[in-house]
Amino acid sequence: MTIDRETLMAYADGELDELTRRRVEQAIADDPALAAQVEADRALRARISGHYAGVADQPVPDRLRALLDSNVHEITDARPMRQPVRRWVMNAAAIAATLIIGVFVGREMGDAGPFRTTGDMLVAQGALARALDTQLASSQSASAATRIGVSFRGVDGGYCRTFSSGKLDGLACRTEQGWILRNMANGEGQAIPEYRQAGSMNPALLAAAQAMMVGDPLDAAAEQAARDGHWR
Amino acid sequence: MAFESDLLALLPRLRRFALSLSRDATDGDDLCQMAVERALKSRDQWQPGTRLDSWMFRIMRNLWIDEVRMRGRRDRTFAPEEAGATVGDDGDRRIEMALEVTDVGRAMDRLPPEQREAIALVLVEGFAYREAAEILDIPMGTLTSRLVRGREALMRELGEAA
Repeated sequence: MTIDRETLMAYADGELDELTRRRVEQAIADDPALAAQVEADRALRARISGHYAGVADQPVPDRLRALLDSNVHEITDARPMRQPVRRWVMNAAAIAATLIIGVFVGREMGDAGPFRTTGDMLVAQGALARALDTQLASSQSASAATRIGVSFRGVDGGYCRTFSSGKLDGLACRTEQGWILRNMANGEGQAIPEYRQAGSMNPALLAAAQAMMVGDPLDAAAEQAARDGHWR
Repeated sequence: MAFESDLLALLPRLRRFALSLSRDATDGDDLCQMAVERALKSRDQWQPGTRLDSWMFRIMRNLWIDEVRMRGRRDRTFAPEEAGATVGDDGDRRIEMALEVTDVGRAMDRLPPEQREAIALVLVEGFAYREAAEILDIPMGTLTSRLVRGREALMRELGEAA
């Protein structure tokens, strides 16, 4: 009796019906070569699945969990459904962000930019600092030059806020020195118009905010209370 | 919501299958995100009582085929992405899936895509032949012959002792 390769493999994978299984077992008993093939099929399966087993044990990134987990929905809910930014786009954004830092800090020497340098930190100044100090996400005008995204308590205790200001999406945290820029990304809709979404924030920045956040983002009342308390 | 929490529970396996398909951690997570977003948009099309995992794997696999097709077009238009690959990705804080480059990884990489996806579904994800054939939308006979050819290629690469 001949057993074809497909059937033998199906036997090794436990896919055969009772009758065929017995027929194959009979053949294996009579032919050590068949038995060896079944062994090889099973060993291969164990080796391949073992190789990938660890992947499923690794922690799932927040940006994926946030799509489904209501505990982290506050941030992502606000923006419309969108395609993930492809890697080449992210790279373009990263390069552009680097250029922007150069432009802003460079310009800042004339004291006109949104940041000044303090030691090795960038501190918001001018209109950006005012927006971070006073503007409420719940009541800001749609045409405001700087748009505040989410406000929250950071892991080191102070308040942090995300903002979009034209070419720049940023994350700043309040300290003694003022609003320190903690993270930035290219503002969407500048270099990458096809990815523009009104009111949406760079996803890398949202992930960074998520990673720094203690508890939930501030709701409208908490945001106002924090502002009235001068973010202390 | 049960639908969301069921999907949440599937995420580790979805990431693994995405990695098998794309063979790249970042592409894999992008693919995973697209698949989840598509599933949330199309949730009406899922029939309760049927397997959510099969449905999700099928969505993911079809998205990947579209992606590969699109890249074929795009790669003729754009410079290689490696041009900026090392520039500031810090704020991104993505957790990379660390999959050691090993003999198994290399051998899987060398498989033709249609054999690799069959192997991934049956040997890695543990789907029955019939379920895998449905996910891939191919007849059972096609699935088993791809599995046989894929297995034999892997055994050749890895040595008979497998």
